[in-house]
Amino acid sequence: PRNAMPSIPSRALPARQPANVLEEARTRLHVSSVPESLPCREQEFQDIYSFVESKIIDGTGGCMYISGVPGTGKTATVHEVMRCLQHAADMDEVPPFCFIEINGMKMTDPHQAYVQILQKLTGQKATADHAAALLEKRFSNPAPRKETRVRLVDGLDLLWTRKQNVMYNLFDWPTRRHARLVVLTIANTMDLPERIMINRVASRLGLTRMSFQPYGFKQLQQIITSRLNRLKAFEEDALQLVSRKVAALSGDARRCLDICRRATEICELSASDPSALGLVGMSHVMEALNEMFSSAYISAIKCASTQEQLFLRAVIAEFRRLGLEEATFQQVFVQHQALCRVEGLPPVSMSEGLSLCQRLGACRLLLLESSRLGILQRVRLNVSQDDVLFALKAD
Amino acid sequence: MTGSLQHLGYDEEKLQRASQQLPCREVQAGMLLSLMGQPQQYCYPSVFIYGHGASGKSHVLNVLMKELELPHATVSCVECVSVSLLFEQVLLSFFGCDAASSLPRTPSLSDFVRVYRQQSSQSPAKQTRYIIMEKAELLRDAEANLLPALLRLQELVEDNVTVILLSEIVWDQFRPNTGCFEPLLLHFPDYSKGELQQILSHDAHPSYSAEFYSSYINILLGVFYSVCRDLRELRHLAALNFSKFCEPVTTGKVKETETHKLWKNIEPHLKKAMQTVYLREVSSLQWEQMQQMEETETGAMRGLSAHTHVELPYYSKFLLIAAYLASYNPARTDKRFFLKHHGKIRKTNFLKKNEKTSNHLLGPKPFSLDRMLAIFYSVVDSRVAPTASIFSQISSLVTLQLLAQVSHDDQLDGPKYKCAVSLDFIRAISKTVNFDIVRYLYDFLLQF
Repeated sequence: PRNAMPSIPSRALPARQPANVLEEARTRLHVSSVPESLPCREQEFQDIYSFVESKIIDGTGGCMYISGVPGTGKTATVHEVMRCLQHAADMDEVPPFCFIEINGMKMTDPHQAYVQILQKLTGQKATADHAAALLEKRFSNPAPRKETRVRLVDGLDLLWTRKQNVMYNLFDWPTRRHARLVVLTIANTMDLPERIMINRVASRLGLTRMSFQPYGFKQLQQIITSRLNRLKAFEEDALQLVSRKVAALSGDARRCLDICRRATEICELSASDPSALGLVGMSHVMEALNEMFSSAYISAIKCASTQEQLFLRAVIAEFRRLGLEEATFQQVFVQHQALCRVEGLPPVSMSEGLSLCQRLGACRLLLLESSRLGILQRVRLNVSQDDVLFALKAD
Repeated sequence: MTGSLQHLGYDEEKLQRASQQLPCREVQAGMLLSLMGQPQQYCYPSVFIYGHGASGKSHVLNVLMKELELPHATVSCVECVSVSLLFEQVLLSFFGCDAASSLPRTPSLSDFVRVYRQQSSQSPAKQTRYIIMEKAELLRDAEANLLPALLRLQELVEDNVTVILLSEIVWDQFRPNTGCFEPLLLHFPDYSKGELQQILSHDAHPSYSAEFYSSYINILLGVFYSVCRDLRELRHLAALNFSKFCEPVTTGKVKETETHKLWKNIEPHLKKAMQTVYLREVSSLQWEQMQQMEETETGAMRGLSAHTHVELPYYSKFLLIAAYLASYNPARTDKRFFLKHHGKIRKTNFLKKNEKTSNHLLGPKPFSLDRMLAIFYSVVDSRVAPTASIFSQISSLVTLQLLAQVSHDDQLDGPKYKCAVSLDFIRAISKTVNFDIVRYLYDFLLQF
């Protein structure tokens, strides 16, 4: 097992064909089934396309920095641009080019970037240092075949090293005269160059920046409808509710699709007769939204045992008494015993109390110190007091 | 008493033999046996046994494992400084050398589980395998994932294996912050006085009767039980002092049955032993030699703590005295103590009412080098040049741990020290240089 490579188990049977409308909708709404053209990102598509196309036609190099919160279609848009350009190159409309993609998240170490680039360029394998030297040589000398290379760097923030030499090289190579290299970088935050890059790196990155705004509710609705493609599975109002909710919180398209898929499942389960499936209605969507967005802490407190709820109450009582947001276990335990007597329950022993406390700490309702401090460990709440009181009062 | 251990699936004879070796632990051994179930049955994944030192935790398990011939691995967590040693020992005692050598050089937990599963698939467990971890409190200092993994090892390796943790610390101080599989807790209570008497009477001297020995144990417990309930310690003391107890009988002065005379003879001797041998002031070997040499009165020999007198250079002594005075006197009283013409300071002002608590109770306070040197020049009568030798003596006092440097921020610029010697020590030192230290100590001023 020394050279064992982790892999995804292969599928024994072919994927089942969707049997009804809801299953069909589910496959279409799956995050992995990226559509041919992305709706609502036409402007960004155009910008990137013209940037890369002009560089390829001129035979020069350049950088572009693309930012935006997760789920705004950055990677999908760039991939679509590359697909279109490849198509155009095949039709001889633009000069031929080669496309290399690396992802910071898939690397164990930032220096692995060199190795991956070299391997994708030439198929050679080398150590990180050697690969860096080879690439350096390659980009400084005129290449034999005049072919522009387009490189996509995803997850740029993970390529950060203390000396920033990886980032520096990535952005420095396109500026060489012979390099003919276009670099597209993707990261989540807009101010990444200002925040973590030293000046000589940030200046080489240049000013060609693009930020992907989060989707508005109309755009989200359009995305879902375009995906469903006239498949009648959702009520109009239900779609609007989903998109409005998601747009208000994050504007993440993936989250939106997830909720829609969950709603179809709920609809399928709630239908008594599998042959007569209705449309996905408001109630189903509401349920899915509640599942996704409601706080797990409150339901955890609600489902906790009597003594655990009592302990949380003792924590709050002790906080009120002290006027602080922190107390030692010993202090809380005194309150707990008093509460037990008030409630008419048999008082718990010290070690039972500790195990209650540590159980609550293990599910992160409380923040605790190391257990070897015993009764002197300090207890803090990880949820707001109002949430705890709400959860305890509800029944 | 014997024969109380009964369990299905084990040989009656073996159980008999085991129970003879486990006096006063029948309840716990029976509980363990019923937890273990029959050999081929699955036991609880992890059992946590706690109790004070020398309450028979390891002994009970060892006897049960040995006598019932169960496959087991006894691992002391003190010995296993790295996890690889632990894994190696477990594999070695379950599957032999080959398994232990198939571990990689720095095995991780997953390597251990992999090798274990591999081996156990080749030789499946016919009986429950037991891993006994002694001094399990050290597992908390190991990697964070080790203890939770051991607690559910049965699940991980899918084998009939049980981990037994032995510790003197309660389980509450073990629980990892992220939660874990809760083991079954089993408490070994302390031995009572009667039980101690019973166990200690077991190792009677062959040339004397059992009653004679048990009366000796009775006297011994009468002296020592109030301070010590540790079986090992008591046993050691019993072995050491028995020859003294028998002395009147061997010389023929007293008969074996005259308990009162024997008690009169041994009691002061035992009381002396409590102050000397029990505190390890006098080593056991010295104690035995002393008993053989009749003429030397026991305890007249100076113990370990009497050897506190250290030979120091002349100025080092004064430096140490100055350090002691600086540590235990408030700085505002320095003028009164050490200046010759200090003007008038009113007594009410000098002895502040609120300074009730003695500085000797609170411990030494840090002082600066300047203050210490000022006191040094005032207590030394002759003129001393501040040569390199004086300063090097200060630093050598630090290396001798008579002084302690407090803030380690700067070695040269204004270092702060604390004096780390006791009052008796400094009194002995000041006596050698004819300096009356008590007159200069603020705490003792009120008494004169």
